[in-house]
Amino acid sequence: MAVAEKQQTVIGASVPRLDVREKVTGAAVYADDIQFGPGLLHCRVKRSPIPHGIIKRIDTSKAEKLPGVKVVVTGADFPDRIGLYLKDRHIFARDRVRFIGEPVAAVAAVTEEIAEKALELIEVEYEELPGVFDPVYGASPEAPLLHPELGTYEYPNFIFPKPGTNIANHFKIRKGDTEAAWPQCAAIVEHTFRIPHVQHVPIEPHVAVAKAEENGQVTLWASTQSPFAQRALIAKALHIPESKLRVIAPFVGGGFGCKAGVTMEAIPVAVALKLPGYPIKLRLTREEEFYTNFVRQGLVIKIKVGCDKDGNLLALENTMYWDGGAYTEYGVNVTRAGGYSSTGPYDIPNVKTDSMCVYTNHPVGGAYRGFGMAELHTGIDQAMDMLAEKIGMDRVEFFKKNCIRGGDVLATGMVIHDVGIEDCIDAVARDLNWGVKEKPSGPNKVRGKGIALAWKAPAMPPNAGSSAIVKLNADGTVDVSVGGQEIGQGTFTVMAQIAAETLGVPYENVRVTGPIDTRYSPYEWQTVASRLTWSMGNAVRNAALDARQKVLNVVAEAWQQDPKELDIKNGYVISYRTEDTMPLKDVVVYGIPKPNDQGWIGGPIVGTGSFMPTYVTGLDPETGQGDRAVVHYTTGAQGVDLEVDLETGQITILKAVSAFDVGKAINPELVKQQMEGGMVQGLSSALFEECKLEKGVMRNPSFVDYRIATAIDVPPIMDTFIIEHAQDDGPFGARGIGEHPLVPSIAAVASALHDALGIRITNPPFSAEKVYLALVEAGLAK
Amino acid sequence: MGYHRITLTVNGVMELVDVPSNMTLLQMLREKLGLTGTKNGCASGECGACTVMLNGEPVNSCMVLAVECDGADVVTVEGLAKNGQLDPLQEAIIETGGVQCGFCTPGILISSRALLNRKPKPTEFEIREAISGNLCRCTGYNRIVEAVKKVAGTE
Amino acid sequence: MQNPHPGLPEIEYIKPASLEEASKFLAAHAGEARPFLGGTDTFVRLRDGAWKDKYLVDVKGLDGTAQVSFDPEKGLTIGAGVAMNRVEAMPEVREHYPLLAEAIRTVASYQLRNRATIVGNICNASPAGDTIGACMLYGGVLKVFGADGVREEPLDTFFKGPGKTNLKPGDIALSLTLPLPPRGHVGRYIKVARNKLGDLAIVGVSVLAYPDATLASGYRFLIALASVAPVPLRVPAAEKVLAEKTIDEATIAEAAQIAMDSCSPIDDVRGSAQYRKLMVRNMTRRALTEVWQKLTQAA
Repeated sequence: MAVAEKQQTVIGASVPRLDVREKVTGAAVYADDIQFGPGLLHCRVKRSPIPHGIIKRIDTSKAEKLPGVKVVVTGADFPDRIGLYLKDRHIFARDRVRFIGEPVAAVAAVTEEIAEKALELIEVEYEELPGVFDPVYGASPEAPLLHPELGTYEYPNFIFPKPGTNIANHFKIRKGDTEAAWPQCAAIVEHTFRIPHVQHVPIEPHVAVAKAEENGQVTLWASTQSPFAQRALIAKALHIPESKLRVIAPFVGGGFGCKAGVTMEAIPVAVALKLPGYPIKLRLTREEEFYTNFVRQGLVIKIKVGCDKDGNLLALENTMYWDGGAYTEYGVNVTRAGGYSSTGPYDIPNVKTDSMCVYTNHPVGGAYRGFGMAELHTGIDQAMDMLAEKIGMDRVEFFKKNCIRGGDVLATGMVIHDVGIEDCIDAVARDLNWGVKEKPSGPNKVRGKGIALAWKAPAMPPNAGSSAIVKLNADGTVDVSVGGQEIGQGTFTVMAQIAAETLGVPYENVRVTGPIDTRYSPYEWQTVASRLTWSMGNAVRNAALDARQKVLNVVAEAWQQDPKELDIKNGYVISYRTEDTMPLKDVVVYGIPKPNDQGWIGGPIVGTGSFMPTYVTGLDPETGQGDRAVVHYTTGAQGVDLEVDLETGQITILKAVSAFDVGKAINPELVKQQMEGGMVQGLSSALFEECKLEKGVMRNPSFVDYRIATAIDVPPIMDTFIIEHAQDDGPFGARGIGEHPLVPSIAAVASALHDALGIRITNPPFSAEKVYLALVEAGLAK
Repeated sequence: MGYHRITLTVNGVMELVDVPSNMTLLQMLREKLGLTGTKNGCASGECGACTVMLNGEPVNSCMVLAVECDGADVVTVEGLAKNGQLDPLQEAIIETGGVQCGFCTPGILISSRALLNRKPKPTEFEIREAISGNLCRCTGYNRIVEAVKKVAGTE
Repeated sequence: MQNPHPGLPEIEYIKPASLEEASKFLAAHAGEARPFLGGTDTFVRLRDGAWKDKYLVDVKGLDGTAQVSFDPEKGLTIGAGVAMNRVEAMPEVREHYPLLAEAIRTVASYQLRNRATIVGNICNASPAGDTIGACMLYGGVLKVFGADGVREEPLDTFFKGPGKTNLKPGDIALSLTLPLPPRGHVGRYIKVARNKLGDLAIVGVSVLAYPDATLASGYRFLIALASVAPVPLRVPAAEKVLAEKTIDEATIAEAAQIAMDSCSPIDDVRGSAQYRKLMVRNMTRRALTEVWQKLTQAA
């Protein structure tokens, strides 16, 4: 891909979003907006009220007799398991329930109200079993076994379940010799951090509509980041031939990972199979969104890290207990990502990592923006902050001394590419006036500054692929088809820029066609992992190059020139030799007539392209060593300047700063928007967010008590800096940025809190209450 | 459950609708009138995605019964642009980059438009206060605030 | 685990033509009908099943419920159906009842306050109600229409427990009257919550004060607390200290400590009892100090 670019016009330009006019006029169609007419049936789900138990009996007969009820289904109807990595769950619980909110049965009725009444008529008898509500306990031999059948589940070769335990995956790194390194350390920090479950909170709740036809065709309309993965997984679990399941995916009203994989979408499909001919809609309530959906799983992370007297890191022991929940749709792979990235962006010669995904009776762990990295960094960066303090070094100096540089050998044995993390640290420190103590706004207030680093690799199977189609129209415009989803990040805009630049047409002439439809759109693994700009961008670039070459070949033949002498600029084919020009519209559909009515050259131009990394290797199950664990890392830094009210404990973030190395910003404003939005989501989790789980019950499953940042809570100043150390295999040098900006936020706030207060409060969220009571405990307040 | 026949004006158009007692204004707009620009995010008055103007003032349309709107004047996001000409606020939010997934955008636009109608030159605090009932998970809010300032001429 | 309905459950909407008709209907359907004002609490409780009423009786627009008026003699009268924003926007309210205006601005969001009503807030008797403290300190009296005609309910004796009041089936709150506060009054509402705006109060402290030459301190201070007891709480013992002792830092601290000792908060998902008590002390001290500064500046 490292083609030297002759000139760049729209790459690096902050062109307006392609989808924005529809979105500001209310015309943009989301899944809940699609009209299905009077045949539409409403689906509601009967859910487990207990965290762990055996289902003794289900009686649906009364519900079935309720007028307006069309069908009732239970786990008995669907015997097969489903799961993205480890196939460990049923669409409806069959013999056992493992979390509160687990689907047990579903009803489709003519109105939502009738479906709700029918749920009350379904009788389910449970025998309650003791539960597991802590991952450390869950990993111990004393804990009750939640999945006795673990040994029989299907899973890919990079997941390591431990049958006979609650450990769904155990990822290890053994590099160097930590035991030998400890005596050489001048300072050692040992600390255990607990990071709570949080929810994604897209403003659009999950919604899915399914319809089965008599002929066996099944269509699913869903708010989804993963139409192709959903097609594959749901088809397999429900015995639908994959090509007969069609997933249509309109605009997504916020994803953040929660609409990746299969969450609730299999439910209406299962119901539809029992009642062909009717569209069946399931729309989660906001409360279901909170307590039944995939969560960012909790983490208990035990860190021991040491450095020599000059502050050089020598050794790290990192033990992570991920609270994977009742099933492990994504948890097992978050565990793996947390494992291979367990050093953070620090160069550490001796590393021992144990990253374990533990089954508990909590909600299911899913993918959440950052995919484990925010949780990891909340631990590792705070530990580094403590170590810098202990060895008596400035934090920025300590980070710069120890951060990774191109050519370093990572804990997995992979050699890291050129990374701009040092530039990121400098940019943040400079913008924050690092080292300058700011004045608080009044008495009983204190100020503090903090900084934290971030790294993250796309967490995905080694062979996650992308494809694209570039189709030229008779008016000279271009349609780009992709399978990656526009979830607000602006990917359609970026793809249009890449296609425009590669083809040589004005950006305004390029459309990206949606909605994504697995029947017509080219394959994309999933819209996750901050991988689209890089992976799908490469596919679009390849498709555009293909189309471009086809155009040039036709024109070269017509003009009897060498295609190498031709180019496409601003929508015209030009010859560098003869200075002939021809608008694309005269070529791309009807071809070019030969002289003297002797026939035609060419025809409709369609370019295709795909991309798949082929170089990612497996890692040794015992040592985690391998040549290349991941495709690449995006790195960066974040800082905050905050004030604490000593009479309430309330934190006000006055300024937040981010700098990330994105390789090349295809659209700098979109990159900055990702940095700002991600940072605020991260700061929101630092200050407010936590699923308050008590014995498996989420006590705050609504916006009333699960608070997120509002317009008045966010820092009025957010500065963002784009650093560009090109990605060797990225389109125009680009790599992803979608998730990274929230990764360091919690650690940055913790660092600033310590700077302000002189005490450490290490477990988020840093609520006013937690801060104030810590001040009381430290004798700093009464 | 009883039905009620109501007449109201929505985006300048007179409508006659039969609504059940428990139907909210939000449901009526989306399900009876096909105005799906107004979004359902929580159904409990917390997220602001369903904000519309009712007789000139913004309300959570999930917190109003449709039957209460007999004789009312309602403006939704679909009614902001006039004759294909975007409202300056719509133009501004495009320019400042205050839209990502777009799901909160209709409610944000209505809340902000209502603010500017009652106070053409709001302070930054007043802007943030006025949209604090509109949750956005994508943008981090500041670009939305910038858009309102731009229209107010206070940036 | 409550799993709320996606929308409102099936319910009948009734719009009576007169107060008598409304009251009779409500009395005849005790336990399954309730007066309907702004609906901002009602919808939430109906969705989550906490309330199981079959009828919503819309009393907005009935005699006296739709108006808000200010009279220099009688004070402010707020109809039951009048939305909070309408009250807050009145120049007379901002001038004569600034504590009420301040409290209103902390309730939920602007758009919710276009539906939420002061009287509804009072009738639902949430201990966390932000505006209740101000209404109590201004000496608010509720006018109620019931089977026996119209009666008056002073707020000081109106609340019986969370969600419990003196209202009986068939009662319809018509309006709230707040007498004109004494000359020179100063107020402050401080709310401790998770977000900076819009959240429910973990603790809410309302303070109203004015010069009173008959008192040893020369000032009357009134204090009301939200979210720290089963009902909105007045703190007479602290008010007494502030009436009797010279107002200074120590007296304010003593009063704040009494406020803390007087309340009986619970642990809940929003905050612990321990934190609530400490915040009652700190925020009472802060509110009293700020009010005291303004009073002395004015003097």
